[in-house]
Amino acid sequence: MHLTDDQLNEYLDNESSERAQIVSHIASCTDCAARLTALQTLFAELDSLPELELTHSLAARFTAQGQLPPQLPRWLTLTATLQAALALIVLAAAAPFVMNLLPVIETPSLTEIFLQMQSQWLTLYNTITNYQLPVLPSFPPLQIPTLTLSLTLAGASLLWLVGNGLLLRKQIK
Amino acid sequence: MTAPTDRDLIVRARRGDGDAFSELVTRYQTNVFNVCYRILHERGEAEDLAQETFLRAYHRLEQFDLEREFGPWVRRVAANLCLNRLESQKVTAPLDEERDADESQRPEKQVEVRERSEQVRGALASLPTRYRVVVELRHYQEMSYDEIAAELKLPVSDVKSHLFRARKLLAEKLHAPD
Repeated sequence: MHLTDDQLNEYLDNESSERAQIVSHIASCTDCAARLTALQTLFAELDSLPELELTHSLAARFTAQGQLPPQLPRWLTLTATLQAALALIVLAAAAPFVMNLLPVIETPSLTEIFLQMQSQWLTLYNTITNYQLPVLPSFPPLQIPTLTLSLTLAGASLLWLVGNGLLLRKQIK
Repeated sequence: MTAPTDRDLIVRARRGDGDAFSELVTRYQTNVFNVCYRILHERGEAEDLAQETFLRAYHRLEQFDLEREFGPWVRRVAANLCLNRLESQKVTAPLDEERDADESQRPEKQVEVRERSEQVRGALASLPTRYRVVVELRHYQEMSYDEIAAELKLPVSDVKSHLFRARKLLAEKLHAPD
C-alpha cells in the first residue's frame, strides 16, 4: 500500500507524526520515493523563487520626514485608556446619586420672564420721570469794596508786566 | 564601524528617529514587497501595500517584542494587510512582466532562470486566492499548520486541504510534459 499525498505533504512540512514509518516505506517503495522527489522539486522551486526589485525605495518617505513622532510606551497608552474607561464607568455609576443631590431648579416660563422685564422697565421709567435735581446750598454774598478791588487789580497787572519784562529781557536787548 | 542591529534601529525609531526607521525600511522593503506581490500579483498595489506595511509597523513598533526578529514580524504584518485587502476586494489583475533580482549568472542561465521564475509566478498567480495565501504563509512565512489556521480563522483540516491542493495544481502546471 502506497503513502497518500497528505502523508507526503505532512512529511515534507515537518508536521507528520509518523515520520519513521514514512522514511521506512520510502526506502522500499520506488513509486512513493518518486512522488516524494517530485514534491521536493516543487518545494525547491517555490523556495528559490527570486525576489523582485522595487521600482523605487520606500525608505525615502521616512527619511524625508526626518523626526517622526515618538512612540508612547505601551504601558502609558494602556494606562490612559484604562483611566478613561474607569472614569466613564464611575461617571455613569455616580450619575443617579448626583442627580438626587442637586437642588431642583425651577425655570420660569416665557410669560413670567416677560412680566418681570416689564415690571423692571416701569420701575426704571418712574424713577427717571420723578427724578429731582438736588438743591445746592447757598453761599453768603461776597462784599468787596471798590477801592480794594481796583488796587488789587492794579497790583496784579503791575506784577504781570514786571514778570514779563524780566522774562523777555534778553530778547528786548 | 559596524552597522547598527535591527534592535538598535528599533529603539531609536521608537524615540522618533526617522533615519533609523528609514534604515529598517531599506533592509526589509524588498522582502515585504515580495510578500505583497506573491499574494496580490499586481505591482502597483503590492508597492502601495508594502508602503502601508511600514507605516503600520511604525505605529505598532512600541508593541514589538525586542527579543523577536524584525523581519518575520514585518512580513507577517504585510501578509495580514494583503489578506485584509483580498477580503475587501477581488484581485484579478494578470501577472505582468517582471524583472528578477537574481542577475549573478551567465546570460543564458539568467534567461533560463527568469523564464522558469515567470512560469512559477504564473502558476502561483493562477491559483485561487485562498490557495495562494496558504502557500505564501507556509512556504514564505514558514508558518505551521496551526499558525496558518489561527491566522486565517480556518480549521487545520481546511488549511491542509488548501495547501495540498495548491501544490497539486502547481505541480500539474509546472511539471506537465510539454
